[in-house]
Amino acid sequence: MKTTGIGTEDTMAETKSQTDAVVVTQIAPAKLTLAEVRAKLDGKTGRRFWKNLDELAETPAFQELMAEEFPRQSTEWVDAVSRRGFLKVMGASLALAGLAGCTKQPDEPIFPYVKQPEDLVLGRPMFFATAHPFPTGAIPVLVKSDAFRPIKIDGNPEHPVSKGRSDAFTQATLLDLYDPDRSQHVLRHGQTSSWGQFQEAFQAAVRTMPGGQGLYFLSETITSPTLAEQWKQLQAAYPQAKLVQWEPVNQDSSRAASKAVFGSYVDAQYKLEAADVILSLDADFLGGIAHPGFLPLAAAYAERHRYEEGQTMNRLYVIESTPTVTGFKAEHRLALKPSEIAGFARALVSGTAPQGANEETKKFFTTLTAELETSGGRCVVIPGEQASPSVHASAYLLNASLGNVGKTVIYTDTVNPLPSEQVADLKALVADMNARKVQWLVMLGINPLYSAPADLNFLDAFNKVPVTVHLGSHVDETGSLSNWHLNKAHYLESWSDARAYDGTISIVQPMIDPLYGGKSAHDVFQTLLANPAASAYDAVQATARTYIKGDFAPNWRKALHDGWVEGTAFAAKTTGAPKSGAVPVGSLPGGPDGLEIIFRPDPSLYDGRYANVGWLQELPKQVTNLSWDNAALMSMDTMGDLKLEETDLVTIELNGRKVIAPVLMSPGHPIGAVTVHLGLGRRAEAGRVAAGVGFDAYAVRSSDAPLFSGGAKLTKAPGSYDLCVTKVHAMETRGKFAQLHFETPHLEGATSLPGNEAMERGVIRYATLEEFKKTPGFAHEGSPMRETPEHETSMFPDAWNYQKKDPSTLKVQNAWGMAIDLNSCVGCNACIVSCYAENNIPVVGREQVKVGRNMQWLRIDTYFEGDLHAPRAHFQPMTCQHCENAGCEQVCPVGATVHTPEGINTMVYNRCVGTRYCSNNCPYKVRRFNFLLYSDFDTESLKFMRNPDVSVRSRGVMEKCSYCVQRIEAAKITADRENREVRDGDIVTACQQACPTDAIVFGNINDKASRVAKRKAEERNYQVLADLNFRPRTSYTAGVINPNPELA
Amino acid sequence: MATKGPINDPMIDPRTGEYAVIAPGHNFKSVTQKIAGVVLTSNTPLGWFFGLMVAGGFVTLLVIGLTWLVLKGVGIWGVTIPGAWGFAIINFVWWIGIGHAGTLISAILLLFKQTWRNSINRFAEAMTIFAVVCAGMFPLIHVGRPWLGYWLFPYPNTMNVWPQFRSPLAWDVFAVSTYATISVVFWYLGMIPDFGTLRDRAKLPLAKYFYGILSLGWRGSTRHWIRYESASLLLAGLSTPLVLSVHTVISFDFAVAALPGWHTTIFPPYFVAGAIYSGFAMVLTLAIPIRKFYHMEDLVTLRHLDNMAKVMLGTGLIVGYGYGMEVFMAWYSASHWEWFMMWNRMFGPMGWAYGILVLTNLAIPLTTLWSRKLRVNVGYLFLLSFIINTGMWFERFVIVVTSLYRDFLPSSWGTYVATRWDYIIYVGTLGLFTFLFFLFVRFLPMIPMSEIRMMLPQTKITRGGATAEQVSEESA
Repeated sequence: MKTTGIGTEDTMAETKSQTDAVVVTQIAPAKLTLAEVRAKLDGKTGRRFWKNLDELAETPAFQELMAEEFPRQSTEWVDAVSRRGFLKVMGASLALAGLAGCTKQPDEPIFPYVKQPEDLVLGRPMFFATAHPFPTGAIPVLVKSDAFRPIKIDGNPEHPVSKGRSDAFTQATLLDLYDPDRSQHVLRHGQTSSWGQFQEAFQAAVRTMPGGQGLYFLSETITSPTLAEQWKQLQAAYPQAKLVQWEPVNQDSSRAASKAVFGSYVDAQYKLEAADVILSLDADFLGGIAHPGFLPLAAAYAERHRYEEGQTMNRLYVIESTPTVTGFKAEHRLALKPSEIAGFARALVSGTAPQGANEETKKFFTTLTAELETSGGRCVVIPGEQASPSVHASAYLLNASLGNVGKTVIYTDTVNPLPSEQVADLKALVADMNARKVQWLVMLGINPLYSAPADLNFLDAFNKVPVTVHLGSHVDETGSLSNWHLNKAHYLESWSDARAYDGTISIVQPMIDPLYGGKSAHDVFQTLLANPAASAYDAVQATARTYIKGDFAPNWRKALHDGWVEGTAFAAKTTGAPKSGAVPVGSLPGGPDGLEIIFRPDPSLYDGRYANVGWLQELPKQVTNLSWDNAALMSMDTMGDLKLEETDLVTIELNGRKVIAPVLMSPGHPIGAVTVHLGLGRRAEAGRVAAGVGFDAYAVRSSDAPLFSGGAKLTKAPGSYDLCVTKVHAMETRGKFAQLHFETPHLEGATSLPGNEAMERGVIRYATLEEFKKTPGFAHEGSPMRETPEHETSMFPDAWNYQKKDPSTLKVQNAWGMAIDLNSCVGCNACIVSCYAENNIPVVGREQVKVGRNMQWLRIDTYFEGDLHAPRAHFQPMTCQHCENAGCEQVCPVGATVHTPEGINTMVYNRCVGTRYCSNNCPYKVRRFNFLLYSDFDTESLKFMRNPDVSVRSRGVMEKCSYCVQRIEAAKITADRENREVRDGDIVTACQQACPTDAIVFGNINDKASRVAKRKAEERNYQVLADLNFRPRTSYTAGVINPNPELA
Repeated sequence: MATKGPINDPMIDPRTGEYAVIAPGHNFKSVTQKIAGVVLTSNTPLGWFFGLMVAGGFVTLLVIGLTWLVLKGVGIWGVTIPGAWGFAIINFVWWIGIGHAGTLISAILLLFKQTWRNSINRFAEAMTIFAVVCAGMFPLIHVGRPWLGYWLFPYPNTMNVWPQFRSPLAWDVFAVSTYATISVVFWYLGMIPDFGTLRDRAKLPLAKYFYGILSLGWRGSTRHWIRYESASLLLAGLSTPLVLSVHTVISFDFAVAALPGWHTTIFPPYFVAGAIYSGFAMVLTLAIPIRKFYHMEDLVTLRHLDNMAKVMLGTGLIVGYGYGMEVFMAWYSASHWEWFMMWNRMFGPMGWAYGILVLTNLAIPLTTLWSRKLRVNVGYLFLLSFIINTGMWFERFVIVVTSLYRDFLPSSWGTYVATRWDYIIYVGTLGLFTFLFFLFVRFLPMIPMSEIRMMLPQTKITRGGATAEQVSEESA
């Protein structure tokens, strides 16, 4: 019974806690008071689940029992070093029984989204609406909860911003919640302390500060009205206290520009549904939520980019530095160094071609100017958050002069209720710290010792502060050096509220009681307010009374249920005419010498906050398909000039600071510039996944030039480094390939072999709008390789007849199929992370990915076409095609992969012996094999995250996309119970659900009225590798692009 | 045939111009003493112990490799997606191929009454069995969950599931297990008369006992001989189709798949020819040092080496034709898949493997084996046998790896890099093979005494009941 294995202990804990739950209700009037209970439980690891009152009373008998039954654990308990070993056995540990057994709902009432079961029905998930707070605006989500454990996060379908769609970061916050490296205690000087002790110390200290003099808060960007309200109250009580909001990746450019141009801080909201022409000035609005409003922008873009009769297809122009998915979706993309973009934008305002531009740029400029002018009011200019303030100012002017304001763009209040220019504020804070004005520095959810600009020497200043407090999810670089570390509650564990892109307020409601008793910034502020015992719930309710109109109680319930508060969206703000010339282009920081270096948030890890999330580390980064690590991205010419190869290391020197980085060629990157992604190179404190991955680009980033800088020197460093690029696993092939082109760096039409082959083989098919109008069947013309052979050419034409009628109902059976619109896919990766969460896909680590063993069931293939300096890229989500005539089934010697009558190619994991023949015979190479034991069967916290409807695969077993068969079956069961057919739209696969652009459609292709059948009936519909006669059930809609004939 | 060798070579039969199958001057006793002496001697040569020890070291390596493999999983190898098969399958096909020469020698050549085979058939058969032991290991250990490998066998079970008979891997199970069974039975049957001889000649009681049991009461009566001969003939008849079928079925592992480079109808004949090619090379690798070490030059003569070299030349030409046809069909089919595969195989990043293949399998052997001088040059043949087996290993490498690593979708192109565990297990099976062979030459008659005795001139009955020997003695 003691250590007979995790499984038995689990069951034991579960049954015990259930019986004890009964006991608890019977002896409810306990001798202990609630306050005493709370005090006892404070500082304990794990969820505050208690088994019986003896435990709380800590009677000697109970202590004896503890020591007797779990002697090993009780010794490990105090030893901080063996925490990981402890995690393994914590299923048996009493204080963690809450984790292992059934979990408890939060104390405060929260409301299920769709159904309100009187009691929990085990095995039937419940859905709750909440919001993922993010600096660029909260993402409203709907969380799937199984037995009160959040197991999947998706967009809230009823919310106007997300409409059910989501993004990679939001999806991955699930793993963030269950991250086994999260901090679990309040620490004081590294020793376990308690929240109560902190409160006491904090209150006592602040009492001695006159008016809060010397009390400084350094917070992440605030999007919560309640937190802002709490701050206002706090400031009223302590007028000298200071709040600095700062994040390494921020919106300073737009703030500075809007202040200068309009005199006040505004946020821009773009209405792409009304835009025929979109001009992006370094804005990666299709890449992810790093760009504000990603979800509605991507959805509207894709909607207007779909070719439909009677709809003008939009046209996207992108002028960008670092290649992004947005750039590659564009009809016309111009790669410029960041220093040139401001000049180009200014030239657009003035109407005269930029000075010193080459012919190509000039032609681009004149065409673009003409196009914008003719489509005034139906076009929009979007500046990127990582572009300079001058670009933003130009965009304001352009939008105004083109008459777009009020039509395709509106200006509103800022999502951040306390907008500020963050770097300037941080500088002021560091100055105060150095001047020893700061007595208490309370850092809320921020990790400045890792991410602060290198020139500020934050550590020196930090050491001059008598008391530092760090509220964070991990004992990270900052937490480990702070006097106090407070373990932060995840957003899925805490009450809050947040504004989304359009200003709509969502109530952030907890899905689960804090796993480790974490606290939020609300609790920290509340500690100093009039009623320190008030919870975040109370604070949110108090604020909510100001924005929830009408009868509070029902409307509060409705807000929780819906996930948003009606009528809180921002109205358009009338700004004056933009001031011209308010923000000069300015000179390039760092001077014109050397290379320009561009700092960008990592496409997968953002500013480093997700560095310990394995899903995101392993996620192939957009465009480069680099998994794990980051690299110095540059064009082939820059590589050639510097005599570098792809496996080389390079020393990046900027303003005397150096960092060593591996080199990666990035097609389409502007020549003479290098991009580094922030957020990697975390130190050991960051966690088991994050530690030591990549290099730390913050080390060379200064506060004067946080976006880009000139004067970077790159020199070859000794040694070499093998990056793992999932697109082409063999790095040596890439390296040699790149070198091949050094000889003729400006080779006309230099192309890539994989890209060429993809075209030749009909993997990617697309046409321009003109061509499409001329030959609507272009996807099927040309090579005979593009067509599926006639049914009769098969020796067994009727091996599977999918038109059969079910003998009992006489109805044609279901035939599941998928259609993916390549016109809509923007390569944002949301689907891959969604698939991770839905299907319990393991993370395998850098070394395994490097040799090609990544386990993602779904990948986004990126094919480059044409000139390597200005390529076109095509994104193609590729997953199991569920072939009707599947090669894998034929060759499996044990029948572990078989066909269902509904046409799904299923894997029987239990039957698989692992010959891997199926993978060899799969032309799409979408099967994934557990070469080693990849799934983590030991880490307790990860067990709670797993989808109970999908088995966790062990070593030696093949796996692959199942079309989310668990969702299909669930829908069929529901339909059966309701005595009806499965309706179109009942089944939504995980990838489809996440897709921000509705590129993926799934359903019954035998139902001719279904969306998928309609898509498949389109002329542009084609099957990849059709000529092999595998008859895939997944088909693709060939892309149509709408280039300007002038530039073609 | 005109005499080409040195005229005064006593080994050359002046009547045929060929080397003699058995050197002149042997009689029943000398043959028996020579062969049985190796087994029954009390002075085991030190070299044998040394060789066994070295081979045993490699076997230990194999055991370590297999243990780690079972503990960690096939991920310790270089297999990956897209190259999900690697060394294990290459080695499997290579070893099975090597075994083929033994069966060909013991079965087909018996049916064709090629008496020269008698000198080499015993150890060629032993080679077959040890090669099958090494080969048979791979299909099992290469799967992800080897402890469930028995699921490939059709056996009644409570799960009520059968193997999936459309899969060539299920056919493999039958092909290889049949092959192993027949080979062992044939090998053992052939040794029964020799076991009788050893039993009779053994001095040690243990050896007497041991060989006595194995000889199954062989007394050498005419009735025994009649039964022995008909059983041999029957087994030869059974084995003959196996020579062709086993490697045909193994080639189906590839040919049935849809992968360019695998999906081709030429595989069965070209696999069989390749198997015999590599098998004869391996027989040479073994025969040359053994005849030297145990002074068996009289029994395994240059005639044998010459003949085996001729077989290699013939099968090598078939293999060469196979390669040519692959290229031709890739072009003639006008299929982009095939042509790209061929282009990539020859000039892609792994073109070096194809280069080695052409050099070692075609260029070197097929140019030199025409020369009789080189065919009877023991040193050259020994070297060539290694070259050919390297080439045949690379043939399988080229087929397995260079077809897989760049297939249909350019996005999933990858590469294949073998790990140290791949090499350890490969070298380990070479060690196991050698180890078993060392045991064989020490404890079993490596050359069939009974069959050699039958080939002596003394057995030729002439008029008046005189043996040929008596006749020749008289004429002398």
